Amino acid sequence: MGKHQLGEFEEVVMLTVAILTDEAYGFAIIEEMEKRLNRKVSIGALQTVLRRLEKKGYLTSEMGEATAVRGGKRKRFFHLTSAGKNILQETKEQRLGLWNAVPEFVVKFSH
Amino acid sequence: MNKKEKISPPKWALRFFRWFCNPDYVEDIEGDLLERFEKRANEQKSAKWLFVLDVLKLFRPGIIKPVFDGLRLNYYGMFKHNLLISIRSFKRYKTTFLINLLGLSTAFASVFLIHLWVDNERSVDAFNTNDKVLYRAMTHFQLPTKKVTWEYTSGRLAESMLEEYPEVIKSTRVNNKFFIPKGIVTANDRHQEVEGQFADPNIFSVLSYQMIIGDPTKAISDKQSVVISESLAKKLFESAQNAIGQTIQWNCSLFNQGFVVTGVYASPPKNATRQFDLMINYEVLIDADEWADHWKGGYAETYLVLSENTDINAFNKKIAHHIDEKIENDKFTLFLQKYSDRYLFGQFEDGKLVGGRISNVRLFTYIALFIILIAAINFINLSTAQASTKLKEIGVKKAMGSNRKQLVFQFLTESMLMSFLSIVGAIILVYAMLPYFNQLIDQTLSFTLLDNIPTIALTVVGLGLLAGLYPAFYLSSFRPISIMRGKLPSMSGEKWMRQGLVIAQFSLSVIFIIGMLVVNGQLNFIENKPLGYNRTNLLTFEGKGSDRVDPSILIAEIEKIPGVKNATSMAGPFLWGNDNGSGFHWNGDQANRNHLFKSPKIGFNTIETLELKLLAGRSFNRSFNDDRTKIIINESALQMMGLEEPIGFKLKYGDDEYREIIGVVEDFQYGSLHQPIEPLIFRFRGRGENYMVRIDAGAELRVIEEIEKLYNDVYPNFSFESQFLDDEYDQLYVSEQRIGSLSGYFALFAIIISSLGLLGLVTFTTERRIKEIGIRKVLGCSVTKIVLLLSSDFTKLVLLAILIAIPLSYLGVQEWLQNFAYHIDLEWWYFAVGAALALVIAWLIISTKTVKAATMNPVESLKDE
Repeated sequence: MGKHQLGEFEEVVMLTVAILTDEAYGFAIIEEMEKRLNRKVSIGALQTVLRRLEKKGYLTSEMGEATAVRGGKRKRFFHLTSAGKNILQETKEQRLGLWNAVPEFVVKFSH
Repeated sequence: MNKKEKISPPKWALRFFRWFCNPDYVEDIEGDLLERFEKRANEQKSAKWLFVLDVLKLFRPGIIKPVFDGLRLNYYGMFKHNLLISIRSFKRYKTTFLINLLGLSTAFASVFLIHLWVDNERSVDAFNTNDKVLYRAMTHFQLPTKKVTWEYTSGRLAESMLEEYPEVIKSTRVNNKFFIPKGIVTANDRHQEVEGQFADPNIFSVLSYQMIIGDPTKAISDKQSVVISESLAKKLFESAQNAIGQTIQWNCSLFNQGFVVTGVYASPPKNATRQFDLMINYEVLIDADEWADHWKGGYAETYLVLSENTDINAFNKKIAHHIDEKIENDKFTLFLQKYSDRYLFGQFEDGKLVGGRISNVRLFTYIALFIILIAAINFINLSTAQASTKLKEIGVKKAMGSNRKQLVFQFLTESMLMSFLSIVGAIILVYAMLPYFNQLIDQTLSFTLLDNIPTIALTVVGLGLLAGLYPAFYLSSFRPISIMRGKLPSMSGEKWMRQGLVIAQFSLSVIFIIGMLVVNGQLNFIENKPLGYNRTNLLTFEGKGSDRVDPSILIAEIEKIPGVKNATSMAGPFLWGNDNGSGFHWNGDQANRNHLFKSPKIGFNTIETLELKLLAGRSFNRSFNDDRTKIIINESALQMMGLEEPIGFKLKYGDDEYREIIGVVEDFQYGSLHQPIEPLIFRFRGRGENYMVRIDAGAELRVIEEIEKLYNDVYPNFSFESQFLDDEYDQLYVSEQRIGSLSGYFALFAIIISSLGLLGLVTFTTERRIKEIGIRKVLGCSVTKIVLLLSSDFTKLVLLAILIAIPLSYLGVQEWLQNFAYHIDLEWWYFAVGAALALVIAWLIISTKTVKAATMNPVESLKDE
């Protein structure tokens, strides 16, 4: 299997899933992302990415219990798989490596 | 919004989502959507729009369910190509495109407007939450010759039905429309004129009027309580809160007393037939008039809630003789009609439902369908006519291996695009025309785009298919070899079809024109028919309040005003046309007692003021001290009674009273022309407070001002409201006037649209024959001959259309005229003018193109090839 690189949005979604641990379902993820990153996320964009990540094996999902709110519909909770955790870790290290390689004055000047 | 109601996401959007979404994902994503919607709904107003946006954003490859498992087709490229081809063909054939766009947009716009109106008509009185089981008690009453149908019942009916029939769950009564308490309410030193309603205390549990403040179960449980509408509360007390516990003084024709405000309700919705500013206990009416609670009095309207699964027909049979049993009679048939049906199905004849407003609703639904049909025919005709210009394209495509499905898809794309563009045009038109439309029909309809999106989407697809299917299958069926060899496939079938459609279109137009002529003719007839009395410059107004005033003093004062010819008063408005009485008999024939005479109650000088013509005897006169024992009859009554010497004849009235005939008047129209002239007896009533004043032409303004001053002395606190009798008379026909002008406009649209279609067709055929015309001219043919040659084909079609349309329109208008007791005769010229008009319109259109083609220099048309 060739090495896969996470896209920016994919990475953010997976991190948010990690933050929410056991409470990571569609709407909660959107709320969390909108709160933390201050950007608008559409259900369509998020769900597409979630399914893609699931297909790639980075996430698993299971249906929760039905509740009285949200029209009695069940929630689908997402969790990171170990492959997911690995690739997050990898991505992080790559980024750090890149950061470390940047000469310090470049970053400073940009401020 | 004055009430926090729970809003829900647009249903159609949700349904759309469920349809396209991968079934594995539906549940949880829908949950997310709803959760987000609920959150937004609490914060902002645009939640619905955002919900739709969310759904649309979900419409993407990862979420949509797989069309064919394992097989992914890329339709996008083809689709893009088709769109491009469509747009190019629009650009190339601009006239055709514009004709289609204009025609379809106008058609859609008319249909939307009609749809709005029809929807509004259907919503009248359907606002009750228990609408499905809410009924109104009605009665047929047997007269000697026919049955009449009443919506008013005895005040006792509600209670007895509830007690005797287990099917009845709730029942309530209100006053009927003849006992509406009108008057003036005083509170806080403010006066307000109001119309009220008497009702049983449980009214709020039967009809869905919303109580804003107060306990709906107790609000009018005693005779001192009143509930008032929110708007009245604001007028009197600034706010609903302030109104509670206040006392209001109500001076009305039946009583003058104080009430305590125990509740405030939201004013009845606009589409409720019963509108009232305040409501009090029905017992107050009983105190004022004991007949309100008597089996023989018809003062009430009775509403019933039945249990869910009652078979209404069986139940109607069961209750038919309920009233007869109570009053030992055999003339009443009790039955129930759904509360919300009363408005549309309100017309009974001889005990049978014959329609009502529903006939207008149907009429306009048909008009809408026809207009759409005409516009679709244009589209079909023009597309098939253009087939030849597309033949090469089709041939090449087929030769390159495109299959039939793809070609069908291409043509459908084109028609869908056309249909979509014209909807956009139509929506703009609707927004532009709505204010005028509202003015015309005296309504406040509004068009909200968001709620109509599913209807609109459906129409786009529906019309796209309707208009596109035939051309699509027809054009894609050609065989490439014959096309490429330049041999046109046989066009005869197509030609027939096209001609048939033109005939259909023009038949409809002719029917519309004739209909319009007849409706206008009848309305003119009504306006100008001599009625037997003079209705111009006759001012009417009525006395108000519970204090009985002797009208003769006011009349004497009014008569002194210079410019006043005559003044009088009677009991009940003259144009009401429904004041009846029975009990008269003569020549010992007791059967006559049951005859129901029209019998208005008039005062001194009324005959003179109305300028009715006396044939014999005299009118009521002060100097003879006339009273109730004297009557005046009309010619029809005279004929009916067959009296030789009417003057001085004494009719028996009841068991031991007499009524002496003192005069005979010529027949006149009592009430509207919907009613025939019937035998009529004028009874005498000196204290009627419906005033009529004949004023000299030109003196109206000054005289009205002076009368107002006199009126305010006699009826302090009440506002002086006067009308001229001819205006009131026109009001009797307001619904006909409206139907007349509406159908006129829509007929005009229909004619414009079919003319456009004809124009397109003529343009096209002349263009195709341009070489033929050139050659003919070179060979010496005259311009006139060429024009005739080109026009004759279409003229034949239009003539045929006229032949079809005349009998159909005859049946239609004949039916409509039957609604009037007096109507115009259908004369031949209505049909001749209609036909001629259609022919002239057709010729005008045809000639614009043919003359141009015929006068063209043959060099121009023959220069190439």
